[in-house]
Amino acid sequence: MVDIDISWIPDTFGSVTPVLPMVLVIIGALLMPGIHLLLKNKNVTCAASLAFVVVAAVFNILLLLGHYTGTYYDLFTYDAFSGLMILLFQAVAFIAILIAGPSSETTRMHVGAFFSLMLIATAGMSFVATASDLLLIFVGVEMVSIPSYAMVAMKKKDPRASEAAVKYIIIGGLSSGLTIYGISMLFGLTGTTNIADIAAALATQGYTAGLVIALATMIAGYGFKIAAAPFHMWAPDVYEGAATPVSLFLATGSKKMGLIVYIKVFFVMFVTIQAAQPFMTESIQYVFAILAAITMTVGNILAIVQGNVKRMLAYSSIAQAGYMLMALAILSDWALTGAIYYMFAHVFMKGGAFVVVAALITVGVGETLKDYRGLAKRAPLLSAIMLLCVFSLAGIPPLAGFTAKFFLFSSAIVPGLGDPISSQWIWLAFVAILNSAISLYYYAKIVKAMYIEKGESEEKIKVPAAFTVAAVLCVLGVIALGIFPEPFLYYCSQAAAAVMP
Amino acid sequence: MFIEYTWLIPVIPLIFFVIIGLTGNKTPKEGGLIAVIGALASFVLSVLVVYEFLTGPAYNGGVGYATDAVTWFSIPGGFTLTLGYYVDGLTCVMLMFSSLISLLIFIYSIGYMHDQGKRSRRYFAEVSLFLAGMLGLIISNNYLMTFVFWEIMGLCSYLLIGFWSFRHPEGDAASDNAASAAKKAFIVTRLGDVSFMGGLFVLLYAFQSLDYVNLFDPAAIAAVDTNLIVLATLLLFGGAIGKSAQFPLQDWLPDAMAGPTTVSALIHAATMVKAGVYLVARSYPLFVQSADVMLLVGLIGGITAILAASMALNNMNIKKVLAYSTISQLGYMIMALGAGGYMMAIGMKEGNAALIAAGAAGYTAGVFHMFNHAFFKALLFLGSGSVIHSCGTEDMREMGGLGKKMKWTSITMLIGSLSIAGFPFFSGFWSKDLVLESVMKASEYGPEGYIFMIIWILGVVTAFMTAFYMFRMWYMTFAGPEGHATEHSHGESPSTMTVPLMLLSIFAFGSGFLILFGLDGIITISPDSITGAFIVGMHEGHGAVHYIEELFTNPYTYLTIVLALLGIYIAYLMYSKFSVNPGKFNKEGESRLYKALEKRWWFPQLYNWISWKFGYGIAKGVDYFDRNVIDGTVNGLSGSVVGSGESAKYVQTGNVGNYASIVMIGVAAVFVVALVLIYYMGGM
Repeated sequence: MVDIDISWIPDTFGSVTPVLPMVLVIIGALLMPGIHLLLKNKNVTCAASLAFVVVAAVFNILLLLGHYTGTYYDLFTYDAFSGLMILLFQAVAFIAILIAGPSSETTRMHVGAFFSLMLIATAGMSFVATASDLLLIFVGVEMVSIPSYAMVAMKKKDPRASEAAVKYIIIGGLSSGLTIYGISMLFGLTGTTNIADIAAALATQGYTAGLVIALATMIAGYGFKIAAAPFHMWAPDVYEGAATPVSLFLATGSKKMGLIVYIKVFFVMFVTIQAAQPFMTESIQYVFAILAAITMTVGNILAIVQGNVKRMLAYSSIAQAGYMLMALAILSDWALTGAIYYMFAHVFMKGGAFVVVAALITVGVGETLKDYRGLAKRAPLLSAIMLLCVFSLAGIPPLAGFTAKFFLFSSAIVPGLGDPISSQWIWLAFVAILNSAISLYYYAKIVKAMYIEKGESEEKIKVPAAFTVAAVLCVLGVIALGIFPEPFLYYCSQAAAAVMP
Repeated sequence: MFIEYTWLIPVIPLIFFVIIGLTGNKTPKEGGLIAVIGALASFVLSVLVVYEFLTGPAYNGGVGYATDAVTWFSIPGGFTLTLGYYVDGLTCVMLMFSSLISLLIFIYSIGYMHDQGKRSRRYFAEVSLFLAGMLGLIISNNYLMTFVFWEIMGLCSYLLIGFWSFRHPEGDAASDNAASAAKKAFIVTRLGDVSFMGGLFVLLYAFQSLDYVNLFDPAAIAAVDTNLIVLATLLLFGGAIGKSAQFPLQDWLPDAMAGPTTVSALIHAATMVKAGVYLVARSYPLFVQSADVMLLVGLIGGITAILAASMALNNMNIKKVLAYSTISQLGYMIMALGAGGYMMAIGMKEGNAALIAAGAAGYTAGVFHMFNHAFFKALLFLGSGSVIHSCGTEDMREMGGLGKKMKWTSITMLIGSLSIAGFPFFSGFWSKDLVLESVMKASEYGPEGYIFMIIWILGVVTAFMTAFYMFRMWYMTFAGPEGHATEHSHGESPSTMTVPLMLLSIFAFGSGFLILFGLDGIITISPDSITGAFIVGMHEGHGAVHYIEELFTNPYTYLTIVLALLGIYIAYLMYSKFSVNPGKFNKEGESRLYKALEKRWWFPQLYNWISWKFGYGIAKGVDYFDRNVIDGTVNGLSGSVVGSGESAKYVQTGNVGNYASIVMIGVAAVFVVALVLIYYMGGM
């Protein structure tokens, strides 16, 4: 839509341009411990990290608006899809770092390391978005996982954090093992780790037991990152145990990385195979459909009984991942567009909710539903933001969650759109609609506590400005994506078109 | 020239919502004045739009509707969704009564909320948004936009019903009550909303569009599988059941009385519950594709009407009686739409023009009753608000004899009661008798026509009950000896409250006469004899002679008049003259029927049972599994001994081991499922 001349960027940076956003962030990550050692000030370190993210984001947005595409030594490809996903991770990093500064939960001892780890993880997620080789993706994912383990453990005075970290590491290690096992099987079958080549090879081979094992282990290995049921059990523990900015980072960022891997690996693979042999992929599409249906249902049902808001949001994240997984079953470019749109909507609505939770923990209000009683009188702005965010999560129009759900669900229902889909996914759409109805029950519990129930205290709450800024940014995103979907939808469909082989 | 600005009608209150939200406390009457100005502006614009439309070329010989839209978003290679307006006869009538009544309610609210201080700001902001939701719903040009505004209204009703949950004027118990009522209203109507959303997707699947213009096109309807339309209309009707409190989702509305009385007036008269009836009326071209669907619609209406009326018979709470009466009257509207649609569906199949015309009369009766009901119900609720404001209780046993202290309130309430009871020449009389006549007529056609005979009997019995419980309410409140609360009452309410009452009572008496002067020409629907396109309005009215002749040569009209008078007389004997003791009929409140009515036919228990035993129970069970079998809690136990090595062992063998095994089982499950699917679907 917008056309700007960005030829000066490749002229200046040469072959590094495709990985420029990551390089900038990595430079930041390397400098952070030094900056903190010299200045000994958490806020300055936080601001410095933010600056690096913002500079990287500016470059990324310029590249995106300039429709730049480029390859870095056949390893990383920057295109409309990876650019948009990098933007998503930068947005997540921005919000997480912004609130990690003033949050009382984050560590005060290893400040430099903490921000450095977060930047490294951001760079890792961005690498995953640009990589087109299974091994590179694996390395990228590990580049996110290992800093995440450390960040979960880095929480002040809360034994829950160390327990969560231990669980996270063990299950994460298991998942990595499964993944690399699956990759090795695929390599054995096709003799390459490049996704496009694998797809081309598989299109002629048909299913073998080895391929099914490879698929099952890789679905599980990356399903761990997405927290898709039944690989989800770590998520509530870790989100609850970690400092809230880190929970935010994991729920909105790391989860999306898993989805991107699913899209890059499975989506591309199956669309290629489908083009060669139209009916061969149907069975594996059903596997994803079942996975999506189970994930959303388990997440929503378990969320109902939670009394801890952070844990409730964790289960709700699981359910949200279930919705996004629908795209893998439907396998059309419209479904993919909807899923990408949903990812952004999810960043803003879930991000906004976590920001409010973090703010309330920092000022000592607490994290259970009981603590939220009467909040509307004590913190009207935060309550209003929370209300909009959770209603958006529940899919109430005209907020982002509804619009995104509408895109995604309609892709399951409406036939045509250039793909040979028929009415076979209508059941999935109805499962999803029923699920969004169930989900309203527990979201309404949060709103009820804030707006309808009486609190013990009526004292006004004052939160650090950074929280308010982050929350307002998120809620603006929720409203804008809900009411004016058209401009952003354009970029999503561009991104989807870039992924489609 | 004004029609192009129809989109401003909902936008104005939306802007005023933002203004009040931001600056409310600094403006006169805590934002009340601004809200009234917003409602006034919407009303004036509505009048201009309606006038221009009804005198314009589109309505006089044109296509019968005016529409315009901008693209909201389009799906590459697929369909386009729009934002825009769609004005036809139905829109006009809805716009007029919604904006006018809301305006009067807002004026009244200034008096009613004056002692609420700063909290009025929240109230006025929310009612402005509420009004924006309703007006937006009315002018929407497609189902998605309708759904968006539908949900905005649901959200506002949630906040408004819970308005008094912090500090209810009647104390803590009432506050808790407000809290749970708000949630119930939200969740129960949400059930309907899910159904609506399902219908929306089915329509999208069938038509590749959601614009009314495309959906109501007879060629498009003919091209779509009728079963899909039946499914879509059933789902849409599910939405209407939720919003308009029809059986079996009727139970949220009486509980919604926990909000301020003005909110009840808004919900019951001008907005919210009318949205469901509107949805059915709006979707008529789709609904009439199947006589069976319409039969179901009529039946639901009939059951709702009598069920709700029965529960009003022995209720002691003035607002709850009115709430039940609303449900019951909504039943009438749905009943008429069902009967009309049933006849139209059969008529279209047989090519019988007379039957189609009879169907159109049913549609007219339903919409007309909605129109009249808006006025008399607003009047009754605001009147009851005036009473509650004055005596500080909602229990009618503590009232009595208020007539002398509150002259204007009692007179206006009397007009409202006469109207709803169907006393001749009052507005309710005209529309109720037209409704019953349509239902009676529908019973003569089709193999299932006899069901409409049953519905008619339900309707007539309901008419008798209505007259009785309304006058029971009026006598208990205004006549008889002075009750405890009456002695402490503040007397008549301020003029911001009584003037709207007087204005409304003029309408409540007179709105029925409009049918004699051509209103029916606007609120009718008929398929064009050549193109088959559905046209709302664009007819000459049948005129006064037709209706007077039709009603007064019909023996059943006299039956309902007699029953209404009988109901009023019995109420008079029991609650004013005290010559008949009502306790005699219910064993002093011990009879089984009385108990059943008090327990609302056990509907609340049923809901609770379903939601607790079924919904929450499943969730609890799954959670138990999650916590105890998989042991997923973050208990911090291990952390307290971190570093001892012992804890790491515990973690590994206790919880995480289970997690890991679930992951492995998951891998195996994916493998097996994939294999099975591949085996059955081919590909191996």
